[in-house]
Amino acid sequence: MKAALKDGIATFSPQGFLDGNNANAYLSIEDVEAASNLKADIILVSLKRVVFFNRNGLDIFIKLFSKIRKKNSATVGFCDYDQNKYAAIMRFYKDDINFSLFKTLEIAYLFSSSYKNQNKTILVHSDDKSQRSAIAIELHDNGHSPTIAKSLEEYNEKKSAFEYVIDSTFLGQMGQKVATRVSGNAIIYTITSFLDVEISNNFNIEYHNNSLNVGFRLFIFDAYKVISMNVHALNFFSKLSTSAAEYNATICFVGMKFDKTSASFKENMEDAGILFYNHMDDILQNKELLKELGASSAANIKNKRVLNKQNVTELPKFINAAAVTIEMMTNTKAIKESASVQNLIIYKKEGKIASSIGYYGDIDGMVILVFPSAIAKKACELLIGEDTNDIDMILDTLAELVNIVGGKIKSLLADEEISVNITLPRTYQDIDSLLEVVENRKGVQVELSFNDDKFLFFLTR
Amino acid sequence: MITKEQVNSFIEKIPPEPKVLNETFALLRVGELLKAAKVAENDLALKAYLKNIVNKPIYGFKNEVSDISQIFGILGVSLSQQNVYNYMISLLSPKKWTLFKLNSHLFYELQANLSKKWQIILEHLNIENKEIYAAVSLLPASIIVTEALFNQKIDDVNLLRSTKALDYNTILVRLCGIDLFDICEQIAKKWEMDENIYKIVQAASGVKPSDDEKINMLAKWMHLLLFYELSNPHFIEAGLNDFVDFQVDYISDIYDEFSSLMEIE
Repeated sequence: MKAALKDGIATFSPQGFLDGNNANAYLSIEDVEAASNLKADIILVSLKRVVFFNRNGLDIFIKLFSKIRKKNSATVGFCDYDQNKYAAIMRFYKDDINFSLFKTLEIAYLFSSSYKNQNKTILVHSDDKSQRSAIAIELHDNGHSPTIAKSLEEYNEKKSAFEYVIDSTFLGQMGQKVATRVSGNAIIYTITSFLDVEISNNFNIEYHNNSLNVGFRLFIFDAYKVISMNVHALNFFSKLSTSAAEYNATICFVGMKFDKTSASFKENMEDAGILFYNHMDDILQNKELLKELGASSAANIKNKRVLNKQNVTELPKFINAAAVTIEMMTNTKAIKESASVQNLIIYKKEGKIASSIGYYGDIDGMVILVFPSAIAKKACELLIGEDTNDIDMILDTLAELVNIVGGKIKSLLADEEISVNITLPRTYQDIDSLLEVVENRKGVQVELSFNDDKFLFFLTR
Repeated sequence: MITKEQVNSFIEKIPPEPKVLNETFALLRVGELLKAAKVAENDLALKAYLKNIVNKPIYGFKNEVSDISQIFGILGVSLSQQNVYNYMISLLSPKKWTLFKLNSHLFYELQANLSKKWQIILEHLNIENKEIYAAVSLLPASIIVTEALFNQKIDDVNLLRSTKALDYNTILVRLCGIDLFDICEQIAKKWEMDENIYKIVQAASGVKPSDDEKINMLAKWMHLLLFYELSNPHFIEAGLNDFVDFQVDYISDIYDEFSSLMEIE
């Protein structure tokens, strides 16, 4: 069984009956390998469509979870269960739960790195005081505003005032991934305790590269809780800063103390371009400084990168991936109308939405798709299942669609032994915010028509 | 990906009911088991199929049964008709499966398991109607239809399903406005099966409950039976477990009775 990946969470969805005889068939070693390679923050088994399970069945999954954790430090566990299933799992494992339980997949998304699922107000309830605190801390580190309900009565009373409510959820061993949140145009990573060679496994480099590709220029490491770091961590941060410089991005450390770390480390990091501040507000409340550090705009690239020969050679594949995917989603035929090398020009901005996805590896670049709302809606109907005008839902689904385009690009390039990874997709509700990101970047602009509706494809770096 | 035209073309290509089977059914319907067996003897493929099915362990015969009249005699009218329908449906199955990791042996195994357990359910529910016995035969047609429509689109489907866990039935409905079970109904009509057969199977999709209380109740049992079978490791490995969505809420009121009947612990 293959996992579906969305917003950093890979989910397996078995159906029917789950016991010791068939659990291995649901999740083979190959499936687990494939899920690990997706580099998800969280890997879950949904129990939504499981009508029966026993401990033997769950035990097999839990053994596989342990392998996944060892390999890529992801958070692992179950989601989508009712109160009876939750009680059964708690009864099976009592005090020996080292996996996590999320009442719904939507709740799990609150714990993953995703731009759109941040800054939510959340009410948390658990009978277990340490769980309440652990959940609240994780949520806070992921950029949310959690409130703890101290009793069930308080929880029921206050529920309606919050965007999300969390109960019947248990955080086992959480992944060691570095927590990430977005504040304005800055990305904030929370790092803790001892930083060593593991930082390269625990830091979500895909998310970071994606953030660079979609225009973020200020990255802040919240290092209040760091005790010390060794030379491997030093090298990691120095390299991160050097590669960020290509995008004219800045990396800052906040609250880092050097009483247990060699002071020479600080000098080395400063030499690599890393800036140090004592308090988060020293940056976030200083508009002048934010502007200087590049966080006043989504795009501030001084070193613009030109489209190279490799990308142009592979251009037909990129266009094909986009056209075939939209043909598949709309059941219509695409006709290529024009292609030219130019800055992105969109004559009529109204009634259009866009999305982008980056790729990097043997070659790198970014594909942008600009849709008239009608085509976007049509293309998303297959995924949504209904005609909707809910713009958030359409944008969310457009991100899934462009993810499929990215997957297709990846597989078409792999046929020619060109290895690339794709970033998380980003969507733009208005064209101006897209233009801000690709301002003055040259690329190949291709116009395609689907049943007389015009659709725009733009490839840039 | 898949168009309405392709679906229509698939339906048009379904062959008419073979003459031998037509005669066999006519005789089975009036309870003429011996005469039906004599006619069925003329179809060697049917003979081989029935022999294969009834000698599977689930039927529990100690000695090999090879003669058609003997097979019909042991099975009785309802189960004989059910198995001849199973054979008819198997005629639609591909020589080589590509979307699902199936082969004829495994597909027949699924048919036999569904049939035998459907018999246990109907006996438990005190139902003797032979058309209702036969209804379960149409159910695996949904798998054959999925294979036929999607086997050329494996990469597209995999890509789509890597982003969103959509079942084949939902994909087909959203693309063409027709679902797998509608196509099963078309097959049943073309082969002049009793309307109760396709009405039960339509409702057994789990997404189209019937207004007829009796049909709906039988459909719940069939839906749950399907997923009980598709939870078998062989069928999970074949990729069948999530080919359609399991509607847990739909079967919630019969689950306890089902689990007790199937001795699920």
